[in-house]
Amino acid sequence: MALLLVRKLNLLETEETRWCRGRPKLTWDALIRKDAMRLHRSLEVWKMGFVNYLEALKLQEKLAHDRKMGKISDTLLALQHPPTYTLGKRKTTHNLLVSEEELQHMGAELHYTERGGDVTFHGPRQAILYPIISLRDLGLGARMYVENLELTMIKFASLYGVTARRGNKCETGVWVEDRKIGAIGVRISSGITSHGLAFNIDPDLNYFKHIVPCGIADKGVTSLRKETNVALPADEVLHEQLLSCFAGVFGFTTVVEKDNISVSGDEEKRV
Amino acid sequence: MAMRVWASSTANALRISCAPKSSLYPSFSLSKCFSTVLDGLKYSTSHEWVKHEGSVATVGITAHAQEHLGEVVFVELPENGASVSKGRSFGAVESVKATSDVNSPISGEVVEINSALTEKPGTINSSPYEEGWMIKVKPSNPAELDSLLGPKEYTKFCVEEDAAH
Repeated sequence: MALLLVRKLNLLETEETRWCRGRPKLTWDALIRKDAMRLHRSLEVWKMGFVNYLEALKLQEKLAHDRKMGKISDTLLALQHPPTYTLGKRKTTHNLLVSEEELQHMGAELHYTERGGDVTFHGPRQAILYPIISLRDLGLGARMYVENLELTMIKFASLYGVTARRGNKCETGVWVEDRKIGAIGVRISSGITSHGLAFNIDPDLNYFKHIVPCGIADKGVTSLRKETNVALPADEVLHEQLLSCFAGVFGFTTVVEKDNISVSGDEEKRV
Repeated sequence: MAMRVWASSTANALRISCAPKSSLYPSFSLSKCFSTVLDGLKYSTSHEWVKHEGSVATVGITAHAQEHLGEVVFVELPENGASVSKGRSFGAVESVKATSDVNSPISGEVVEINSALTEKPGTINSSPYEEGWMIKVKPSNPAELDSLLGPKEYTKFCVEEDAAH
Protein backbone atom coordinates (compact mmCIF):
# COMPACT_ATOMS: atom_id res chain seq x y z
CA MET A 1 0.00 0.00 0.00
CA ALA A 2 2.78 2.44 0.94
CA LEU A 3 4.80 1.66 -2.21
CA LEU A 4 1.70 2.16 -4.36
CA LEU A 5 1.13 5.59 -2.81
CA VAL A 6 4.73 6.65 -3.44
CA ARG A 7 4.48 5.68 -7.11
CA LYS A 8 1.18 7.55 -7.49
CA LEU A 9 2.86 10.74 -6.28
CA ASN A 10 5.45 10.80 -9.09
CA LEU A 11 4.45 14.34 -9.81
CA LEU A 12 6.65 15.44 -6.91
CA GLU A 13 9.84 13.86 -8.24
CA THR A 14 12.19 16.31 -9.82
CA GLU A 15 15.77 16.32 -10.91
CA GLU A 16 16.68 17.55 -7.48
CA THR A 17 14.52 15.41 -5.25
CA ARG A 18 13.43 11.85 -5.01
CA TRP A 19 11.09 10.15 -2.67
CA CYS A 20 12.43 7.98 0.05
CA ARG A 21 10.10 6.57 2.70
CA GLY A 22 7.55 9.28 2.10
CA ARG A 23 9.92 12.22 2.49
CA PRO A 24 11.84 14.12 -0.19
CA LYS A 25 15.57 13.61 -0.34
CA LEU A 26 18.04 15.49 -2.48
CA THR A 27 19.74 13.57 -5.26
CA TRP A 28 23.48 13.03 -4.90
CA ASP A 29 24.32 15.81 -7.38
CA ALA A 30 22.03 18.23 -5.58
CA LEU A 31 23.64 17.40 -2.25
CA ILE A 32 27.08 18.17 -3.66
CA ARG A 33 25.83 21.49 -5.05
CA LYS A 34 24.19 22.31 -1.72
CA ASP A 35 27.39 21.64 0.20
CA ALA A 36 29.41 23.66 -2.31
CA MET A 37 27.10 26.65 -1.79
CA ARG A 38 27.44 26.32 1.97
CA LEU A 39 31.24 26.43 1.70
CA HIS A 40 31.12 29.86 0.11
CA ARG A 41 28.76 32.24 1.86
CA SER A 42 30.18 35.73 1.95
CA LEU A 43 29.18 38.73 4.07
CA GLU A 44 30.38 42.28 3.51
CA VAL A 45 30.54 44.22 6.77
CA TRP A 46 30.47 48.01 6.92
CA LYS A 47 31.83 49.24 10.26
CA MET A 48 30.42 52.70 10.45
CA GLY A 49 30.94 54.06 13.96
CA PHE A 50 28.31 56.64 14.98
CA VAL A 51 25.67 57.25 12.33
CA ASN A 52 22.60 59.46 12.38
CA TYR A 53 19.46 57.29 12.25
CA LEU A 54 17.96 58.77 9.09
CA GLU A 55 21.24 58.54 7.21
CA ALA A 56 21.57 54.88 8.19
CA LEU A 57 17.97 54.30 7.10
CA LYS A 58 18.56 55.83 3.66
CA LEU A 59 21.69 53.74 3.23
CA GLN A 60 19.80 50.58 4.17
CA GLU A 61 17.07 51.36 1.63
CA LYS A 62 19.65 51.78 -1.12
CA LEU A 63 21.54 48.64 -0.14
CA ALA A 64 18.34 46.60 0.14
CA HIS A 65 17.36 47.67 -3.35
CA ASP A 66 20.83 46.81 -4.67
CA ARG A 67 20.69 43.43 -2.93
CA LYS A 68 17.29 42.71 -4.44
CA MET A 69 18.67 43.53 -7.90
CA GLY A 70 21.65 41.27 -7.27
CA LYS A 71 24.10 44.17 -7.58
CA ILE A 72 25.65 43.41 -4.18
CA SER A 73 26.03 40.36 -1.99
CA ASP A 74 24.79 40.00 1.58
CA THR A 75 25.85 43.09 3.52
CA LEU A 76 25.74 44.12 7.17
CA LEU A 77 26.03 47.54 8.76
CA ALA A 78 27.63 47.61 12.23
CA LEU A 79 27.17 50.94 13.99
CA GLN A 80 25.89 52.99 16.89
CA HIS A 81 23.34 55.80 16.89
CA PRO A 82 23.23 59.05 18.82
CA PRO A 83 20.26 59.11 21.25
CA THR A 84 17.29 58.13 19.07
CA TYR A 85 13.80 56.82 19.72
CA THR A 86 12.07 54.88 16.95
CA LEU A 87 8.59 53.51 16.36
CA GLY A 88 7.65 50.58 14.16
CA LYS A 89 5.04 50.23 11.43
CA ARG A 90 2.23 49.96 13.98
CA LYS A 91 3.06 53.47 15.24
CA THR A 92 2.52 52.56 18.89
CA THR A 93 2.89 56.16 20.08
CA HIS A 94 1.00 55.32 23.28
CA ASN A 95 4.20 53.60 24.43
CA LEU A 96 6.11 56.88 24.16
CA LEU A 97 5.72 58.47 27.59
CA VAL A 98 6.98 61.95 26.78
CA SER A 99 6.26 64.45 24.03
CA GLU A 100 8.45 64.89 20.98
CA GLU A 101 9.40 68.36 22.28
CA GLU A 102 10.65 66.88 25.53
CA LEU A 103 12.68 64.34 23.59
CA GLN A 104 14.27 67.14 21.60
CA HIS A 105 15.17 68.93 24.86
CA MET A 106 16.93 65.75 25.92
CA GLY A 107 18.90 65.87 22.70
CA ALA A 108 17.19 62.81 21.26
CA GLU A 109 15.54 62.30 17.88
CA LEU A 110 12.29 60.47 17.12
CA HIS A 111 11.73 58.51 13.91
CA TYR A 112 8.86 56.51 12.46
CA THR A 113 9.91 53.40 10.54
CA GLU A 114 8.53 50.48 8.55
CA ARG A 115 10.18 47.84 10.73
CA GLY A 116 8.32 45.41 12.93
CA GLY A 117 8.28 45.82 16.67
CA ASP A 118 7.29 48.52 19.10
CA VAL A 119 8.97 51.68 20.39
CA THR A 120 12.62 51.44 21.31
CA PHE A 121 15.67 53.53 22.13
CA HIS A 122 19.06 53.52 20.45
CA GLY A 123 22.08 55.31 21.84
CA PRO A 124 25.81 55.31 22.49
CA ARG A 125 27.24 52.00 23.71
CA GLN A 126 24.45 50.01 22.20
CA ALA A 127 25.80 47.75 19.45
CA ILE A 128 23.60 47.71 16.39
CA LEU A 129 23.71 45.28 13.46
CA TYR A 130 21.63 45.94 10.35
CA PRO A 131 21.92 42.88 8.08
CA ILE A 132 20.88 43.49 4.47
CA ILE A 133 20.67 39.87 3.43
CA SER A 134 18.60 37.64 1.19
CA LEU A 135 16.46 35.30 3.27
CA ARG A 136 15.56 33.35 0.14
CA ASP A 137 19.22 32.57 -0.52
CA LEU A 138 19.59 31.44 3.08
CA GLY A 139 16.34 29.48 3.01
CA LEU A 140 14.94 31.30 6.03
CA GLY A 141 11.50 32.62 6.79
CA ALA A 142 10.88 35.59 9.07
CA ARG A 143 10.48 33.47 12.15
CA MET A 144 13.74 31.55 11.68
CA TYR A 145 15.59 34.74 10.79
CA VAL A 146 14.48 36.43 13.99
CA GLU A 147 15.30 33.34 16.04
CA ASN A 148 18.80 33.42 14.59
CA LEU A 149 19.17 37.10 15.50
CA GLU A 150 18.15 36.18 19.04
CA LEU A 151 20.65 33.32 19.06
CA THR A 152 23.38 35.70 17.89
CA MET A 153 22.83 37.89 20.94
CA ILE A 154 22.48 34.93 23.31
CA LYS A 155 25.81 33.51 22.13
CA PHE A 156 27.45 36.91 22.45
CA ALA A 157 26.19 37.38 26.01
CA SER A 158 27.45 33.92 26.94
CA LEU A 159 31.00 35.00 26.07
CA TYR A 160 30.84 37.09 29.23
CA GLY A 161 29.14 34.51 31.38
CA VAL A 162 25.70 36.05 30.95
CA THR A 163 22.88 33.56 30.48
CA ALA A 164 20.40 35.19 28.16
CA ARG A 165 17.29 33.64 26.67
CA ARG A 166 14.68 34.22 24.01
CA GLY A 167 11.56 36.07 25.04
CA ASN A 168 8.29 34.31 25.73
CA LYS A 169 5.57 34.39 23.10
CA CYS A 170 5.02 37.95 21.85
CA GLU A 171 8.20 39.09 23.66
CA THR A 172 10.67 38.81 20.80
CA GLY A 173 14.10 39.84 21.92
CA VAL A 174 16.78 38.64 24.31
CA TRP A 175 16.36 38.66 28.06
CA VAL A 176 18.36 38.06 31.20
CA GLU A 177 15.69 36.76 33.56
CA ASP A 178 13.01 39.44 33.16
CA ARG A 179 15.34 42.23 32.01
CA LYS A 180 15.72 42.94 28.32
CA ILE A 181 19.27 43.13 27.03
CA GLY A 182 18.73 42.89 23.27
CA ALA A 183 16.00 44.12 20.95
CA ILE A 184 14.96 43.15 17.46
CA GLY A 185 12.98 44.99 14.80
CA VAL A 186 13.12 43.85 11.20
CA ARG A 187 11.74 44.71 7.82
CA ILE A 188 11.58 42.13 5.02
CA SER A 189 10.83 43.31 1.52
CA SER A 190 11.07 40.98 -1.47
CA GLY A 191 12.93 38.59 0.81
CA ILE A 192 15.63 41.16 1.69
CA THR A 193 16.11 42.20 5.31
CA SER A 194 16.76 45.63 6.77
CA HIS A 195 16.86 47.04 10.31
CA GLY A 196 17.99 44.28 12.70
CA LEU A 197 19.19 43.99 16.26
CA ALA A 198 20.35 46.26 19.06
CA PHE A 199 22.36 44.89 21.98
CA ASN A 200 22.91 46.91 25.16
CA ILE A 201 26.63 46.95 25.95
CA ASP A 202 26.47 49.86 28.41
CA PRO A 203 24.03 52.52 27.21
CA ASP A 204 22.50 55.08 29.56
CA LEU A 205 19.48 53.04 30.66
CA ASN A 206 17.71 56.19 31.95
CA TYR A 207 16.67 56.89 28.37
CA PHE A 208 14.44 53.82 28.53
CA LYS A 209 12.38 55.42 31.32
CA HIS A 210 10.66 57.62 28.74
CA ILE A 211 9.14 54.69 26.86
CA VAL A 212 7.42 51.40 27.53
CA PRO A 213 10.29 49.45 25.91
CA CYS A 214 9.00 47.29 23.10
CA GLY A 215 5.52 47.77 24.52
CA ILE A 216 6.15 45.46 27.46
CA ALA A 217 5.17 47.33 30.61
CA ASP A 218 6.18 45.15 33.51
CA LYS A 219 9.72 44.25 32.52
CA GLY A 220 12.99 46.19 32.82
CA VAL A 221 15.99 46.74 30.62
CA THR A 222 19.59 45.86 31.32
CA SER A 223 23.03 45.83 29.76
CA LEU A 224 26.05 43.60 29.45
CA ARG A 225 27.90 45.90 31.86
CA LYS A 226 25.24 45.40 34.51
CA GLU A 227 24.93 41.65 34.08
CA THR A 228 28.55 40.53 33.91
CA ASN A 229 31.31 40.46 36.48
CA VAL A 230 33.90 40.19 33.73
CA ALA A 231 35.83 43.30 32.76
CA LEU A 232 34.66 44.36 29.31
CA PRO A 233 37.20 45.03 26.55
CA ALA A 234 37.00 48.02 24.22
CA ASP A 235 33.84 48.47 22.16
CA GLU A 236 35.76 47.61 19.02
CA VAL A 237 36.53 44.16 20.41
CA LEU A 238 32.97 43.67 21.61
CA HIS A 239 31.52 44.60 18.23
CA GLU A 240 33.93 42.23 16.51
CA GLN A 241 32.79 39.43 18.78
CA LEU A 242 29.13 40.20 18.14
CA LEU A 243 29.85 40.13 14.41
CA SER A 244 31.58 36.76 14.77
CA CYS A 245 28.56 35.38 16.58
CA PHE A 246 26.31 36.64 13.76
CA ALA A 247 28.51 35.15 11.06
CA GLY A 248 28.66 31.84 12.89
CA VAL A 249 24.92 31.57 13.50
CA PHE A 250 24.06 32.45 9.89
CA GLY A 251 26.77 30.30 8.35
CA PHE A 252 28.79 33.01 6.65
CA THR A 253 32.18 31.56 5.84
CA THR A 254 33.83 34.70 4.52
CA VAL A 255 33.54 38.13 6.11
CA VAL A 256 34.93 41.09 4.18
CA GLU A 257 35.21 44.39 6.02
CA LYS A 258 34.87 47.81 4.49
CA ASP A 259 36.36 50.88 6.20
CA ASN A 260 36.15 54.62 5.51
CA ILE A 261 32.64 54.39 4.28
CA SER A 262 30.67 57.44 3.29
CA VAL A 263 27.20 57.36 4.85
CA SER A 264 25.66 58.58 1.62
CA GLY A 265 26.47 55.18 0.19
CA ASP A 266 27.67 56.86 -2.99
CA GLU A 267 29.65 54.28 -4.94
CA GLU A 268 32.34 56.80 -5.80
CA LYS A 269 33.03 57.53 -2.17
CA ARG A 270 33.35 53.93 -1.05
CA VAL A 271 36.89 52.84 -0.29
CA MET B 1 -13.07 12.14 -0.99
CA ALA B 2 -12.09 8.50 -1.57
CA MET B 3 -8.57 9.56 -2.52
CA ARG B 4 -8.37 11.66 0.64
CA VAL B 5 -9.44 8.75 2.86
CA TRP B 6 -7.01 6.42 1.11
CA ALA B 7 -4.17 8.93 1.46
CA SER B 8 -5.04 9.43 5.10
CA SER B 9 -5.01 5.76 5.98
CA THR B 10 -1.79 5.25 4.08
CA ALA B 11 -0.29 8.28 5.76
CA ASN B 12 -1.17 6.69 9.06
CA ALA B 13 0.59 3.52 7.96
CA LEU B 14 3.64 5.58 7.03
CA ARG B 15 3.27 7.48 10.31
CA ILE B 16 3.08 10.88 8.70
CA SER B 17 0.37 13.44 9.26
CA CYS B 18 -2.25 14.36 6.73
CA ALA B 19 -4.55 16.98 8.15
CA PRO B 20 -5.67 19.84 5.95
CA LYS B 21 -8.01 22.10 7.87
CA SER B 22 -9.57 23.89 4.94
CA SER B 23 -12.95 22.79 3.61
CA LEU B 24 -11.67 23.24 0.04
CA TYR B 25 -10.44 20.01 -1.48
CA PRO B 26 -6.66 19.75 -1.00
CA SER B 27 -4.70 18.74 -4.07
CA PHE B 28 -1.91 17.45 -1.89
CA SER B 29 -1.12 17.33 1.78
CA LEU B 30 0.69 14.29 3.06
CA SER B 31 3.49 15.04 5.48
CA LYS B 32 4.03 17.41 8.36
CA CYS B 33 6.79 18.88 6.20
CA PHE B 34 4.28 20.14 3.66
CA SER B 35 1.72 22.88 4.11
CA THR B 36 -1.69 22.63 2.53
CA VAL B 37 -1.85 23.50 -1.14
CA LEU B 38 -5.32 23.79 -2.64
CA ASP B 39 -6.80 23.03 -6.01
CA GLY B 40 -8.53 25.81 -7.85
CA LEU B 41 -5.96 28.45 -6.86
CA LYS B 42 -2.92 29.89 -8.57
CA TYR B 43 0.29 30.62 -6.72
CA SER B 44 3.26 32.96 -6.88
CA THR B 45 6.86 32.11 -6.05
CA SER B 46 6.65 34.64 -3.22
CA HIS B 47 3.97 32.47 -1.61
CA GLU B 48 0.77 34.34 -2.33
CA TRP B 49 -2.35 32.68 -3.74
CA VAL B 50 -5.05 34.02 -6.02
CA LYS B 51 -8.54 32.68 -6.74
CA HIS B 52 -10.12 34.01 -9.90
CA GLU B 53 -13.92 33.88 -9.92
CA GLY B 54 -15.63 35.81 -12.66
CA SER B 55 -14.51 39.43 -12.61
CA VAL B 56 -12.94 39.30 -9.16
CA ALA B 57 -9.71 37.74 -7.94
CA THR B 58 -9.15 37.08 -4.25
CA VAL B 59 -5.59 37.23 -2.91
CA GLY B 60 -3.94 35.98 0.26
CA ILE B 61 -0.79 34.29 1.50
CA THR B 62 -0.31 30.55 1.53
CA ALA B 63 -0.17 28.11 4.43
CA HIS B 64 3.55 27.70 3.68
CA ALA B 65 4.04 31.46 4.03
CA GLN B 66 2.18 31.79 7.33
CA GLU B 67 4.12 28.89 8.83
CA HIS B 68 7.42 30.57 8.02
CA LEU B 69 6.20 33.92 9.32
CA GLY B 70 5.03 32.88 12.74
CA GLU B 71 2.01 34.37 14.46
CA VAL B 72 0.75 37.39 12.55
CA VAL B 73 0.01 40.30 14.89
CA PHE B 74 -0.63 43.13 12.43
CA VAL B 75 -1.83 43.41 8.86
CA GLU B 76 -1.49 46.46 6.63
CA LEU B 77 -3.84 46.53 3.64
CA PRO B 78 -4.32 49.04 0.83
CA GLU B 79 -7.44 51.16 0.52
CA ASN B 80 -10.37 50.29 -1.71
CA GLY B 81 -9.77 51.61 -5.16
CA ALA B 82 -6.00 51.40 -4.89
CA SER B 83 -4.05 49.98 -7.81
CA VAL B 84 -1.95 46.87 -7.39
CA SER B 85 0.71 45.58 -9.76
CA LYS B 86 1.86 42.04 -10.36
CA GLY B 87 4.95 41.32 -8.31
CA ARG B 88 4.76 44.58 -6.37
CA SER B 89 3.93 45.01 -2.71
CA PHE B 90 0.34 45.83 -1.78
CA GLY B 91 0.60 45.55 1.98
CA ALA B 92 2.48 43.93 4.81
CA VAL B 93 2.11 41.59 7.74
CA GLU B 94 3.97 41.75 11.05
CA SER B 95 5.06 38.71 13.01
CA VAL B 96 7.85 38.19 15.55
CA LYS B 97 8.85 41.87 15.32
CA ALA B 98 9.33 41.53 11.54
CA THR B 99 7.24 43.29 8.92
CA SER B 100 7.09 41.34 5.68
CA ASP B 101 5.82 42.86 2.46
CA VAL B 102 3.07 40.96 0.68
CA ASN B 103 3.19 41.08 -3.11
CA SER B 104 0.25 40.96 -5.48
CA PRO B 105 0.25 38.06 -7.97
CA ILE B 106 -1.84 40.15 -10.39
CA SER B 107 -2.42 43.72 -11.51
CA GLY B 108 -5.70 45.53 -11.09
CA GLU B 109 -7.88 47.60 -8.80
CA VAL B 110 -8.65 46.73 -5.20
CA VAL B 111 -12.42 46.33 -4.87
CA GLU B 112 -12.59 44.95 -1.34
CA ILE B 113 -10.26 44.48 1.62
CA ASN B 114 -10.63 42.07 4.52
CA SER B 115 -11.13 44.56 7.34
CA ALA B 116 -11.65 41.72 9.81
CA LEU B 117 -7.89 41.18 9.74
CA THR B 118 -7.43 44.45 11.63
CA GLU B 119 -9.06 42.97 14.72
CA LYS B 120 -7.98 39.39 14.15
CA PRO B 121 -4.71 39.30 12.23
CA GLY B 122 -4.08 35.73 13.40
CA THR B 123 -6.82 34.58 11.02
CA ILE B 124 -4.10 34.56 8.39
CA ASN B 125 -2.42 31.77 10.36
CA SER B 126 -5.55 29.78 11.20
CA SER B 127 -7.29 30.12 7.84
CA PRO B 128 -4.89 31.37 5.18
CA TYR B 129 -7.06 30.33 2.23
CA GLU B 130 -10.53 31.23 3.53
CA GLU B 131 -11.21 33.71 6.32
CA GLY B 132 -7.60 34.97 6.03
CA TRP B 133 -8.02 36.38 2.50
CA MET B 134 -6.47 39.84 2.23
CA ILE B 135 -7.77 41.71 -0.83
CA LYS B 136 -10.13 41.28 -3.73
CA VAL B 137 -8.96 42.68 -7.05
CA LYS B 138 -10.60 43.44 -10.37
CA PRO B 139 -7.85 42.15 -12.67
CA SER B 140 -6.69 44.54 -15.37
CA ASN B 141 -4.91 41.75 -17.25
CA PRO B 142 -6.35 38.29 -16.50
CA ALA B 143 -3.71 36.73 -18.76
CA GLU B 144 -1.23 37.33 -15.91
CA LEU B 145 -2.81 34.37 -14.15
CA ASP B 146 -1.44 32.05 -16.83
CA SER B 147 2.13 32.68 -15.74
CA LEU B 148 1.41 31.78 -12.11
CA LEU B 149 2.01 28.32 -10.66
CA GLY B 150 -0.71 25.72 -10.42
CA PRO B 151 -1.12 23.62 -7.26
CA LYS B 152 1.25 20.88 -8.42
CA GLU B 153 3.92 23.31 -9.58
CA TYR B 154 3.63 25.30 -6.35
CA THR B 155 3.90 22.16 -4.23
CA LYS B 156 7.01 21.16 -6.18
CA PHE B 157 8.39 24.70 -5.73
CA CYS B 158 7.90 24.54 -1.95
CA VAL B 159 9.43 21.07 -1.69
CA GLU B 160 12.50 22.17 -3.65
CA GLU B 161 12.79 25.45 -1.76
CA ASP B 162 12.64 23.76 1.65
CA ALA B 163 14.80 20.80 0.65
CA ALA B 164 17.55 22.98 -0.77
CA HIS B 165 18.55 24.43 2.60
